[in-house]
Amino acid sequence: MTQPEILAAIQQELADLEQISFVAHRDTREALGAIQSQGDEIALEWVRACKALFQHDRDAGKAFIRGSRAVLDASGEVLAWTNQALSFLQWRGSWKALDGFMGQLPAAYHILGSTGEARWAELGIAWCGRHLESGAAYFRCPVVELAATHGIAGVEELVLPAEDLFSQRRLALATYLPGAIRVRNLLGVEAVQPWAKRGADILQAGRLRGEAFFKLESEESMAMLLENLPGFRTPEHQRLLQLILYAWFGENFDLLDGNWSPDKGRAFVETDGASLYLPIALPSREEAILALLHAAGHLVFFSFERRYIEALFHEVGREHPPLDADKRITWRPLFAAFGEDMIRFQLIFDLCEDLRVDTRINARVPNYLTRLLAAAEAATLPAGAAAAYFELARQTLRWIASDAPQQVEMESWRPLLNESATIVDAFRIANLLYADTNLPPMTLAEREHAYLPGRSPNAARPVYPRRELDHAEFGTGTEDQDDAVKNTEIKPNPEKREIPKQAAGEDPDFDIPPEETTGSGGRVGVGIPQPAHVTGHARGAEYSEKGKPYAEWDYRDGRYKRNWAWVQEKELTELDANEATRLLTQYAPALKRLKRAIQTQKPARMAPLRRQFDGDELDLEAAIGYIAEKRAGMSPKANIYRQRVMQHRDTAVTLLADISTSIMQSSEGGGRVVDHIRAGMLLFAESMEEVGDPYSLAGFASKYRDNVSYYSIKGFDQRLTPHARAVLGGLSGRLATRMGAAIRHAVKGFDRAPSQRRLLLILSDGRPADYDDGGDERYLHEDTRMAVKEAVDAGVHPFCITLDAAGSQYLPQIFGPGHYVVLDHINDLPKKLPEIYLRLRK
Amino acid sequence: MKGFLNRLRGVERDIIQQPVEDEAGAPYYEAQENEVEIFEAAYKKRLPVMLKGPTGCGKTRFLEYMAWRLKRPLVTVSCHEDLTSSDLVGRFLLEGEATVWQDGPLTRAVKAGAICYLDEIVEARTDSTVIIHPLTDHRRQLPLEKKGQEIEAHEDFMLVISYNPGYQTVLKDLKPSTKQRFIGINFDYPREEIERKIIQNEVPELDTTQVEKLVATGRRARTLKDHGLEEATSTRALVYAGNMMVAGIEPVEACKAALVNPVTDDPELAEALMEIIKAHFAV
Repeated sequence: MTQPEILAAIQQELADLEQISFVAHRDTREALGAIQSQGDEIALEWVRACKALFQHDRDAGKAFIRGSRAVLDASGEVLAWTNQALSFLQWRGSWKALDGFMGQLPAAYHILGSTGEARWAELGIAWCGRHLESGAAYFRCPVVELAATHGIAGVEELVLPAEDLFSQRRLALATYLPGAIRVRNLLGVEAVQPWAKRGADILQAGRLRGEAFFKLESEESMAMLLENLPGFRTPEHQRLLQLILYAWFGENFDLLDGNWSPDKGRAFVETDGASLYLPIALPSREEAILALLHAAGHLVFFSFERRYIEALFHEVGREHPPLDADKRITWRPLFAAFGEDMIRFQLIFDLCEDLRVDTRINARVPNYLTRLLAAAEAATLPAGAAAAYFELARQTLRWIASDAPQQVEMESWRPLLNESATIVDAFRIANLLYADTNLPPMTLAEREHAYLPGRSPNAARPVYPRRELDHAEFGTGTEDQDDAVKNTEIKPNPEKREIPKQAAGEDPDFDIPPEETTGSGGRVGVGIPQPAHVTGHARGAEYSEKGKPYAEWDYRDGRYKRNWAWVQEKELTELDANEATRLLTQYAPALKRLKRAIQTQKPARMAPLRRQFDGDELDLEAAIGYIAEKRAGMSPKANIYRQRVMQHRDTAVTLLADISTSIMQSSEGGGRVVDHIRAGMLLFAESMEEVGDPYSLAGFASKYRDNVSYYSIKGFDQRLTPHARAVLGGLSGRLATRMGAAIRHAVKGFDRAPSQRRLLLILSDGRPADYDDGGDERYLHEDTRMAVKEAVDAGVHPFCITLDAAGSQYLPQIFGPGHYVVLDHINDLPKKLPEIYLRLRK
Repeated sequence: MKGFLNRLRGVERDIIQQPVEDEAGAPYYEAQENEVEIFEAAYKKRLPVMLKGPTGCGKTRFLEYMAWRLKRPLVTVSCHEDLTSSDLVGRFLLEGEATVWQDGPLTRAVKAGAICYLDEIVEARTDSTVIIHPLTDHRRQLPLEKKGQEIEAHEDFMLVISYNPGYQTVLKDLKPSTKQRFIGINFDYPREEIERKIIQNEVPELDTTQVEKLVATGRRARTLKDHGLEEATSTRALVYAGNMMVAGIEPVEACKAALVNPVTDDPELAEALMEIIKAHFAV
């Protein structure tokens, strides 16, 4: 084609466009000038593309035409992206994707370069082929965010795994991308995939929950992320941390979840004067322990002692503000005088107080300062204004770690090392230091970096003032009338707040905390009484409401989901004493037979039995004694045998009944399944009374993973009361069967059992299943199998008695061969249940 | 020659140990409170004594010391589950065609006027503990049922039992009727300065700062007793740890071997104990 021909062809195309749309024609003309600078042939291609796209879809065409100019400026070429744009012709309704594509192209060229751009477009176009909506979401996603700082590799690491998720779990990119980008920013790319997999599972169980998960709005999503946080994970070491604190300070502190998440900046151990709040993860074990000791040190060495706080406010010539509804105090007014420069003063004050407390801790915990200093030396100096504070803190630490030698510049700190120094002294010294400081001003955002590892902002939370010292130790003359009020009363520990287990609506007041009747007034010092506070409580309370979390096994990932299934202990409230009596009468003959059988094989005593009148072996010692005594002319008893009996170790047993909805069905043997279960459990209980082994009875049902109800009917240490019998009589079915969580909880229950041998009898009528298993039977099967394995590891022998005729298909995999029994005739259940136990305990 | 033989096969000694007369042979004991006076008073009046306290706090050592001080022979019987009354009192044995009666350790002590020490008496079966009843009241008699005899105790005879209220289950407690027959002396782990003295004395090669650290570690570790430790870190264990250090083991490792590994299988508890040890020793 010759040059004039080309130009003519362009004009022809333009004319055609004008025929179709005035606007398109105008826009094309506008952009054409710039495009033609690349050559007329290229311009022709481009105009043809404009027309083709416009004819295919008006919006797509418009987007292409209007975007071209900017793309040209960014790329300096035309053909490559024009051809890419033409691929969108394959799909109807692809304008959204193309719109996004054109919008992001300049950025793509800018950030990824032209080869990167090509790959970026290729990936997106492939997505359009899979799922147009996903393609649109891909192209609409800002390239900066997709790539993070990793260029095209960043795009690939995020998007390629999504292909599998799409093909296997139908997870659309629109759902995945925004959350995935945030997750990657917070925790790195490794965390994205497990998070997305979990999300896809949840999405299968329920659309709304799934979407909330991907928007990172739901708690489970955040929990899942926290699960994958690197570092020293405090929830897993809670007991260790508690033991360490107890060892050093002889006090039990409440360790609560500090509700920290990675997007909130640096992780700190915080305290509110009553409890310690731990972030879910700290960078290292050493830092965690130091931070814990430090925070506890504040509590032990009176940073939050009530009178000192009063004295502090006295110092600035203010009344301290009224306590908030939870009877906490905030420090804010103390710093109010410093206005804009508050943070600078706060940091200096913290520095002084931390120095004081660390010195005191070191007297209790040998080498504490050395370790603190080692951690501080190992840390990298933060950037910006925080560096000066950090360095100063390090310097003071070095000074006290080397036994505080005489140094001119350090002398102003010295009073803090005195054993009788208090937070008030720290405040005074902070004021002096502040007066001639050359530390740079700080912003709130930078503040967190000013702290040494292990230390944290002291006034991070409103505090419950402690009252530990009595008049003799501290006399500021501010003592007041309410000293008689006990310390415990101002330590409302959210976790210990009693929340009735059965929240089924019987008691409308169940979430109202007990009313204040102590009359302490609402404030420390001068008192204005505060009204009883009725709204929900701070974090930490959720633990007791949600029950106890257990891990669940996900066979698809081959790993545990931590804190996944939540078990709540509840009581059964439907009582039917008449039914219990009726059943006992009905089964009286069977019970009689059972009891007789039990009596014959009652456990005698710990074997081996010596000095028996008969037996398989000679008791040598007894025999010699016998002969010797006989020779000596006496007439000894001939108890010279030893019996090698099977050891009748004492056994504790829990009978755990599945009381899901299915037991309400009628059974082929007449009556409903539940009737037989009631009778079975009753007879079991009565027989166990005869046997004398410790036993407990419980039922379980579930609805979703966070709602597993565990109904304890009789504990090991309880007697079989008429109430327990009535509960058995009134047993009814509800909800589904999340067996793994129930087994784990029952195994925990054996902690209270006195016996060596522990048997867990599970009475079920069907396979493990729950509403949120997404129809994947295998999931809860595998979880139950793992729960059984854990039980065995914990020294509990699980055994399943099922009424499900199909039980032999899945029970061998879950419980192992020989560890289950399928009852063919449901009428046998009441008789069989005690028999099975007696057989097992042999 | 005799020394060589002893090293070769151990020393055979009679169960009734005659007291060592010289000062040098005195067992080392550091009095914690007034236990020495109480014991001497009880001995003066020939009252039976019960030593109560956790393992490794020095009960046995105290008794060795008292026996030496009072110049009485000491018969020690470690009680165990299968200890029958004939193990204590005696039995008929066959010898050739005849039978001979052999006195048990308790009988011998009663006859010889020794101090008879029944260590960890709760471990013995209850039927064997009741035979000591007549010995513990004004009768001071030991009935030998099989021989049809009763033995009046030698006037210097004294019965002492030890008993650790900690680790037995409720089922294994002493009968109240047995308990109330004794003068009770409570033992606990010694005070800090006494414990230092003890360790310094038992492990003279250990330098003072190490002793101090060891004692501090032990005291700190004891605070965890109610948190899952069935037996707290005993003074004996501290002495062992000191010995291990002297034998060339790193202090942290020595403490781990002597203070942590034996007392707990609970990983978290062990970690907490190690934390204490490291705080003191690892710098």
